[in-house]
Amino acid sequence: MVGEKRWSLFTIFNTLILSAVAVATLYPVIYIIAISFSESSAIAQGKVFLWPVGFNLDAYRYIFSEDRIPSAYLNTILYTALGTLINLVMTAVAAYPLSRPGLFWRKFFVIGIVLTMFLNGGMIPTYLVVDKLGLLNSIWAIVLPNAIWTMELLILKSFYENMSESLRESAILDGATEFRILWSIIIPLSKPALASIGLFYFMGHWNSYFLPMIYLNDVDKYPLQVVLRDMLILQYAEESQVEGTKALMPDAVKNATIFISMIPVLLIYPFAQKYFAKGVMLGSEKG
Amino acid sequence: MNPKMSAGEAGPSRAKPSWLISQLQHMKRDRQFLLMLLPCIVFYILFRYGPIYGLIIAFKDYSVFEGILGSEWVGLEHFRTFFSSNDFWLLFKNTLLLGLYSLLWGFPFPILFAILLNEVRNKRFKKSVQTFSYLPAFLSIVIICSMVIDFLSPGRGLLNQFLQWIGLEKIYFMIAPEWFRTIYVASDIWASMGYEAIIYLAAIAGINPSLYEAAKVDGAKRWHLMRYITFPSLLPTILVLFILKAGSMFRIGFEKVLLLYNPMTYEVADVFSTYVYRKGLIERDYSFAAAVGIFEALIALIMLVAANLISRRMGGKSLW
Repeated sequence: MVGEKRWSLFTIFNTLILSAVAVATLYPVIYIIAISFSESSAIAQGKVFLWPVGFNLDAYRYIFSEDRIPSAYLNTILYTALGTLINLVMTAVAAYPLSRPGLFWRKFFVIGIVLTMFLNGGMIPTYLVVDKLGLLNSIWAIVLPNAIWTMELLILKSFYENMSESLRESAILDGATEFRILWSIIIPLSKPALASIGLFYFMGHWNSYFLPMIYLNDVDKYPLQVVLRDMLILQYAEESQVEGTKALMPDAVKNATIFISMIPVLLIYPFAQKYFAKGVMLGSEKG
Repeated sequence: MNPKMSAGEAGPSRAKPSWLISQLQHMKRDRQFLLMLLPCIVFYILFRYGPIYGLIIAFKDYSVFEGILGSEWVGLEHFRTFFSSNDFWLLFKNTLLLGLYSLLWGFPFPILFAILLNEVRNKRFKKSVQTFSYLPAFLSIVIICSMVIDFLSPGRGLLNQFLQWIGLEKIYFMIAPEWFRTIYVASDIWASMGYEAIIYLAAIAGINPSLYEAAKVDGAKRWHLMRYITFPSLLPTILVLFILKAGSMFRIGFEKVLLLYNPMTYEVADVFSTYVYRKGLIERDYSFAAAVGIFEALIALIMLVAANLISRRMGGKSLW
C-alpha cells in the first residue's frame, strides 16, 4: 500500500513540474497575443493576463497604416525565400559529389570543409571580405556569406551516402548524366532530409538579426528582426533608466509586431516538429 | 610540375607525369561532379578561407585605402595593447564565468526534463509538454530577449509585480550588474531545455525494455528504475554532450549578450565577442578587433581540443 501511495505522489509532482514547464514556454506567447489585442488603459493597469481586455484591432491598424513594418516584413520574406532557396540548392548539389566515394581529391575537399568548423576568420575579416566584394548594404550580403552551413552539408552528405546504389546504377546504365541522377533520383529520395535541413535554414533566415544589422545600412532594407530590435530592445534601454519616461511605442503595437513576426513560425511549428527533432538528432550524431 | 619539363628529364622523375596524367584522367572522369562542386568550392574559398587570410590584418595597421596587402606591418603590437589593457582581464573573467555558469547550470536541466518526461504515462500529456517545450527554439533571439526584458521590467513586468505583491521592493533587473549572469543563464535554460532534451529522449527510447521488465520482476520501484536503469543508460550520452559543451564553453551566445546588455552592465556582461563587435564594427578599429578575435578563437580551439583529448582518454567518443 505504501508503495502505491508513493507512486501517485510522484505522478502528481511530476505532472505539476511538467505542466509548469509547458506553461512557462507557452504562456509568454499567449501573453503577447493577449496584449496585442487589448486596450492601452487595461495594459497599463496590468489587467491583461491570458485574454485580451477591451478587445480591439487598433495596434494592427496602426502597424499597417505605417510603412515601416509592412516593408520590413516584405524584406524578411524576400531574404528568407531567396536565402533558403540558395542554401538548399547549394547544399543539395554540393553534397552529392562529396558523397561519392571515388570523387577526385575527395578527402582534400572534405577536410577543407570540415576544418572551417574549427577555424574561421571571425567577425571582422568576414565583414571586410563582404565589403571588398561590394556586397554591403545589399540582399547578397544576407544570402551569400552563409550560403552553405557546414553542419547541414555534412548531414546531407551522410544521408546521400546511406542511400541505396541500385537506382543510381540502373540510371547510369540508361545513360543518365550525373545532373540527371541528382535531379530525378537523389533529390526526390532525400525529401525528408531536405525538409529538415530546409527548416533550419528557413528558421535561420527568418530569425536572424545580427548579420542584417551589420551588413545593411539603409533603414528601408532592414528585415523585421532588426526593426524589432530597435523597437523592443533599444527603446527599453532608455525607458529603464529613467522611470516614468513615456514609452515611444505603445505596448499593444510592440506586441502586435512581435505576434505578426511569429505567425509563419507558429504556423509551421506544429508540422515542423517532426523534422525539427530529426534535424537535432542528425546534427548530434554528426557532431 | 609542368609535364613538358619533367618529360624532358630522364629516369626517376618519370613517375611524376604518369601521376599527373592519372590525376587529369580522374579529373576528366569526375568532371560533372567537379562542376557540381564548383559553387561550393568558390563559396568556401571566398567566405570561409578568405576571412582566414584576412586575419593578417591583426598583425598590420589596416587602412581601408591601403588594403590588406598595402597596410603597414606592426607585428604583435595589437596583441600587446590588448593584453596590457584593463579590458583584457575583465573580458576574460566575464567570458569564462558566463560560459561556466551556463554550462554548470544549464547542463542538468534537459537531462532531468527528459527523465521526468519519460515517466509520464499519459501519451497525450507527454506529447503536448514536449511540443510546447521546444517552442522557444522556434522564436528569434530578439523576441526571446524582449520577452525576458518585458518579464523583468520594473513597470509592468510580471516578476516585479509579484515581488511587490509579496511585499518586496521592485528590482531594476536589466541595469543591475549583479543580476546579469542569472538572467542570461536562466533565460538560456528556458529557451533551450526543450530541444536539448530531444537527444536524451531519443537515448532513453533506445534503452532495452527488457531491462525494465527484469527489474520490475525483481520488485524495483519507479524511483529504482530511474536511478538504476534510465540514468546509467544515459550516462554515455551525458558524458559526450558534457565534453562537447565544455569544449565550446568560450563560445558565448554573444548575439544574446548584445541584446541584453547595456552600458550599466558592461562590467559583467561584456565578453570577447561583444568587445570585438564594438571595437571593430562600431569604432572601426579593424586590426585591433581582429587581434582580439584571433585570441578568442585560439582559446576556443584549445578548449575544444582539450575537451576532446579528455574524452578520448576516458575511452569515450571523440570528435575526430
